[in-house]
Amino acid sequence: MLDLLRIEYKKLTPYPTFWIIFGLFFLFTPFVFYGAGQIKFDAFPIDFATIYNFPNVWNIITYIASWFNLLIGMLLVIIVCNEFSFKTFRQQVINGHSKADFIISKILLIISFSLLSTLYLFFIGAFFGYISGSEASILTNTKYLLIYFIQSLGYMSVALILAIIIRSSAMSIILFVCSIFVESIIRLFVPEVLASYFPMKIISNLTPFPSPGGVQVSSINAVITDSISLNISIIVAIVYIILFWGFSYIILTKKDIN
Amino acid sequence: MEEILNINSISKRYGKVKALNNVSLQINRGEIYGILGPNGSGKTTTLGVILGVLNADSGSYCWNGKTPSKNDRKNIGSLLETPNFYPYLTARQNLSIACEVKEVVQSEVDRVLNVVDLINRADSKFKTFSLGMKQRLAIASALLGNPETLVLDEPTNGLDPQGIAEIRTIILDLAKNGKTIIMASHILDEVEKTCTHVAVLKLGNLLTYGPIQSVLNNQEQVLVVSENLDLLKLTLAQIDGVSNIKQIKDKVSLILAKGKDISYLNSALFDKGIAVSEIGVQDSDLEANFLELIK
Repeated sequence: MLDLLRIEYKKLTPYPTFWIIFGLFFLFTPFVFYGAGQIKFDAFPIDFATIYNFPNVWNIITYIASWFNLLIGMLLVIIVCNEFSFKTFRQQVINGHSKADFIISKILLIISFSLLSTLYLFFIGAFFGYISGSEASILTNTKYLLIYFIQSLGYMSVALILAIIIRSSAMSIILFVCSIFVESIIRLFVPEVLASYFPMKIISNLTPFPSPGGVQVSSINAVITDSISLNISIIVAIVYIILFWGFSYIILTKKDIN
Repeated sequence: MEEILNINSISKRYGKVKALNNVSLQINRGEIYGILGPNGSGKTTTLGVILGVLNADSGSYCWNGKTPSKNDRKNIGSLLETPNFYPYLTARQNLSIACEVKEVVQSEVDRVLNVVDLINRADSKFKTFSLGMKQRLAIASALLGNPETLVLDEPTNGLDPQGIAEIRTIILDLAKNGKTIIMASHILDEVEKTCTHVAVLKLGNLLTYGPIQSVLNNQEQVLVVSENLDLLKLTLAQIDGVSNIKQIKDKVSLILAKGKDISYLNSALFDKGIAVSEIGVQDSDLEANFLELIK
């Protein structure tokens, strides 16, 4: 399986878009996080600089990074759609890969991207935490990193299935970016009990909006939606991720490779 | 003869269009098998099915007598339609990826680039290549691991005459080394100059197959000249075993059925009062025979 991942990185490391998008992620996340801590409202008696402290840092940095997750999702759409538009997926099947190899290699890529971005957040969070002189333990609330990792898997799994169904970069990116908004419109017409379980709602709610100023970070077991606890959201998100991977494989095997 | 590929009653539809209709074919080791047919006859679909990229609606195929698996494909060198590579990667990087997929040693990259005379452009990006260079790179990729069987779909597609000659030389060199080559083409001349065997497809139906000479050259074209060509044509139409009567300038061409020869024709015409000033067998006209087959 690691051979499949090695081949994926052989394709990606010379690809400029890969470096540009990860570069934007690596640049913007700490930049926006730093900027958030510099906000000052005279009328608002909260010291935003406390967001750099442990354990606040984990909730806030993962929340900020969750928006840039969409960037990495877009990168995945481009990577998968390229395989169809360059017809390299077909060539690799002709050369001896199976359709399952294709899906497994993309899932491994998703996992590696998620790991990479989560590790990066860990280092950035730790850096800000230490330079802010915070005395709390670095490990407190690091569960947010695990939740961010699952969220990242979730977004990229949505990107994967969209790219496999649509096979066109432009259309898939538009649909991927709009999926949150499209889903919120659909949810208006669905009973609330069901609406809370829609995939993008579940995935986006994994990294909860921080409490004002990040000073009082919501508890890890806090209720984050109207009716679903974080733990339930994590389980449902994992189920969605597995379903997206499974459906991606089924769609790929049923369709001819043109 | 050792059987390399057995296609058994494969059918495939694209919506309402029947792309393949119960096609069966056997290909043996060492044969250069041309799959010939006009555009839309099902050549690429046949190759797509046996290379695992298209799902047949019914029927089956096996490589080397075994159920198809991805390992079979690793041992087959293939070029299906257009050359498919990452445009932003160099020739060497693209072939290196193909080596990984085929589980072939990386040293193969330089060997195959030498075979197709692209070693000097090994570090140029694929997107900078001309059509002929792209096609040669695709053939290089098919040669990775020195496979015993090659499947080539329209290998000279879009090439200039020099490129066509180069690719043809490469294919013939490979054939001399005992490779089994399955080649789809709509260019009769290409198949005639390269293949030992041929299968002719039309609208998804397999019309005929076998050694190229017996398939495309099993009927002799005869040319006859007489004073009154209209009368000659009318008379020929009445003679048993004569078909495909056509006037070509000041001559009449016809096809004689198997077992009939010129002396038979000459005496038949004489009996009907036609004196011929010239009669002879035309050199084999593969194109005429092919066109007759797919008519």
